[in-house]
Amino acid sequence: MARFHTLYTAIQVTGPLEGGAELKGSHVGTRVGTPLHSKLLGLIGETQLFPTYLGVTGTLSLICGLIAIEIIGLNFLAAVDWNVIRFIKMLPFLSIEPPPAKYGLSLFPPLAEGGWWLLAGFFLTTSILLWWVRMYRRARAIGMGTHIAWAFASAIWLYLVLGFIRPICMGSWSEAVPFGIVAHLNWTATFSVRYGNLYYDPFHMLSIVFLYGSTLLFAMHAGTILAVTPFGGERETHEIADRGTAMERAAIFWRWTMGFNANFESIHRWIYWFAILTTLTGGIGILITGTLVDNWFIWGMKHGIAPDYHVIAGRPDVLPPGYVKLPSLNTPEGFK
Amino acid sequence: MIRGLKWFAGAGAVVGIAFILAVPEWTAPSAAGVQLAPSPSSMILFPQGQKVEPVSQIAPAPLPPVAPSGKLASAVYKNVQVLGDVDQAEFMRLQEAITQWVAPKQGCAFCHDTNNMASDEKPQKLAARIMLSMTRTINADWSNHVAPAGVTCFTCHRGQPIPAETWFPQSPKPKKPFVSIQEPYNEAADTVRKFFPDAGWAEYYVQNENISAQSLSALPDHQVHSLLANKRIYEMMMQQSDGMGVNCGFCHNSRAFWDWSQSTPQRWTAYYAIQQIRQLNNNYLLKIADAIPMKRMRVHETFLPVIPPVEAGIVEGNGLAVCATCHYARPKPMGGADVISTYPGLVGPPAPSPQQAAEAK
Repeated sequence: MARFHTLYTAIQVTGPLEGGAELKGSHVGTRVGTPLHSKLLGLIGETQLFPTYLGVTGTLSLICGLIAIEIIGLNFLAAVDWNVIRFIKMLPFLSIEPPPAKYGLSLFPPLAEGGWWLLAGFFLTTSILLWWVRMYRRARAIGMGTHIAWAFASAIWLYLVLGFIRPICMGSWSEAVPFGIVAHLNWTATFSVRYGNLYYDPFHMLSIVFLYGSTLLFAMHAGTILAVTPFGGERETHEIADRGTAMERAAIFWRWTMGFNANFESIHRWIYWFAILTTLTGGIGILITGTLVDNWFIWGMKHGIAPDYHVIAGRPDVLPPGYVKLPSLNTPEGFK
Repeated sequence: MIRGLKWFAGAGAVVGIAFILAVPEWTAPSAAGVQLAPSPSSMILFPQGQKVEPVSQIAPAPLPPVAPSGKLASAVYKNVQVLGDVDQAEFMRLQEAITQWVAPKQGCAFCHDTNNMASDEKPQKLAARIMLSMTRTINADWSNHVAPAGVTCFTCHRGQPIPAETWFPQSPKPKKPFVSIQEPYNEAADTVRKFFPDAGWAEYYVQNENISAQSLSALPDHQVHSLLANKRIYEMMMQQSDGMGVNCGFCHNSRAFWDWSQSTPQRWTAYYAIQQIRQLNNNYLLKIADAIPMKRMRVHETFLPVIPPVEAGIVEGNGLAVCATCHYARPKPMGGADVISTYPGLVGPPAPSPQQAAEAK
C-alpha cells in the first residue's frame, strides 16, 4: 500500500513507442520530435516524450507569448539599469503598470506610461486565445469531446474581464491589473478596499465556494482512487459501466462516512463544474464591481448581508471638521 | 535510483527544516490581546514584537522643582526669543533638562558658544529655537492629540541629538523615456519598512491631500476614486500602524475603513495627529532643513554595487516627523506618562483664533 502514498508514480510501464492516432482530413498536421522513453519523466507521468503537434496556432501562440514575456522581462531589466543583481533583488517588485487614468482608453499612451502594458497585454491575450483554438482543434482532431477547451475558456473569461472587458466598461485602462508579482497583489488589495470590501460581493463569495470546493473535491476524489487502486480502481472509467470491487468499496466508504456518494462518472462532473464555476462566477463578480456596484459593504448593508455591530464605547459624537455624517450602521434613517 | 531519490528527499527535508528553525531570528508572539470593540467585531489589538531603534521607552524622572526668582528670563538674559516669558530659575531648570533630553554627552556646547551664551552662531541653536517653539505649540494647540501627557524634547529625542525614527523623503527617481515607470521602492533601505515607497507619506504628511479613496455610496456615484490614491493611503496607513505598533483595528473596523460610526475613539486622536504632523513638517521641520541641511551617507558602501546611483552616496536633507518619531512603535509614547505638568515652560501661548489674527493685522 505504501507505494500509493508516494509523490511519484511507483509503477513504470514501458512498451513500444507510440506515434499517435492516424489523422485524416483537413486536421492532418505535422507532428514534431523523435519519441523517446524517460525514466525520470516516468516518475511524474507517462514515460514517453514526443511526438508533439504545434501547427499554425501553436507556433503563433508560442511566438506571441514569447514577445509578451520579452516585453515584460526587458522592461524589468531596463528599470534596474541592466544590473542583474538588482534585477534578482527587485524582481518581485518590478511591474508594468497600465496607463494612468488620464489616458482613458487611449490605444497609444507613451510607452513608459502604459504603452508597454498595452503591448504586453495584446500579445499575451493573442497567445492565450490562439492556444485555446489549438486545444479545441486538437480535441476535435482526435475525436475527443471539447470539455478541456471550455474549462480553459472559463479561466480566459476571468482574465479578459480583469484586463479587457471591465476596463472598457469603466472607460479607463487604469482600472486593469498590472504585470508584476507584488504589483498585482497590491492591485488586489487596493481594488477590494477601493470598492468597499470585495468580501460583500455575492459573486466573489460564490467564486470562493467553488474554489475551496474544487480543492476539497479534488482531494476526496484523488484520495479515493489511490485508496482503491490495489483493487483495480485506476480503471475508473471502465468501472463506470462495469462495477468492480474497487468502485463498490469506494462507494461504500463514502456512504458509511457521509450517507451519500458520487459515482465514478458523476464525481468528474462535480469537479469539472466546480472548477469552471470558480472563474465564471469570479469574472462576474469583478465585472459588476465599479460598473454596477461602487461600494460592496454599503450594498451589503442595504440588502441585509452584513450584520450590525454594537457601538464602540467612548466614541466622540462629533466628527472631525470637514467630515459630514455618512450613512452608517448606527443611523436609524438608514440608507438612501 | 528511486532508493537514492528517497535518501535525497529525506536529507533535503532535514536540511530544510533545520534551515527554517536556525537561520531566521524567531520572536515568540504574545498571545494576550486587548479587545477594542464589543463582540463580534472584537478588533483585538495584539502587542507586537515590533523591532524599532533601541531607545528608552521610559519617561525620565523630572528634575527637582526650583523656587521662582521673580524675574522673567528675558529680563535676565540676552537674546531669549522663545522662552522669554518663563521665570529665570525655571528657565535654567529647563535648559538643564533639555541638555539631558537632547545632548547629554555633548552638553551646553552642543548649541551654545560657551564664551557667549547669547550668540546665535551655532546652527544647532537656531534649530533648538525652532524646536522649542514647536514643542510649545504642540502642548498649547494640539491637546486633542497629546493631552494629558504632553510632549517634551525627550518624546522624540530620547537622549540623542537626532531622533532615531525620522523620515528622510526618498530621492525622486530619474525618468527613463521608454521604460515603464516603476513604483518608487527605496532600494537603499536597510529595513523592510523603509523599503516601501513613501510617496503616500509625502502626500499626506507634507501636502494636505484628503485621505479618502473609497466610494461612499452603494451604486456608482460617477466620481473618480483612483486606485492609485488607495495605494498611497495604504503606504501612509502602514506607517501609522508600524509607527505605533498597532494594527488597522486600533482605529478602524477593517470591513468598512471609511465608516466613522464603526471606528474606535483612537481614530479621532489619529485624525488630529495627522493634521498636527502636517503643521509640524511644514512650519518647523522644513524650516530647519533649510537652515541647517544635514549631509549623510545614504547606504553602507558594501551595498553600493546593487544600489542605483541616485540612492547611493552622500545625500543632503533633514528628517521629517511621522508617527514613529514620537511613538517608537508604542500606542502611547512612554506608556502615556505625563511629562508636561512638571515643565510648564514648555506650554506656549495658544495660537490666536482667526478673529484675533485678523484684528492683529
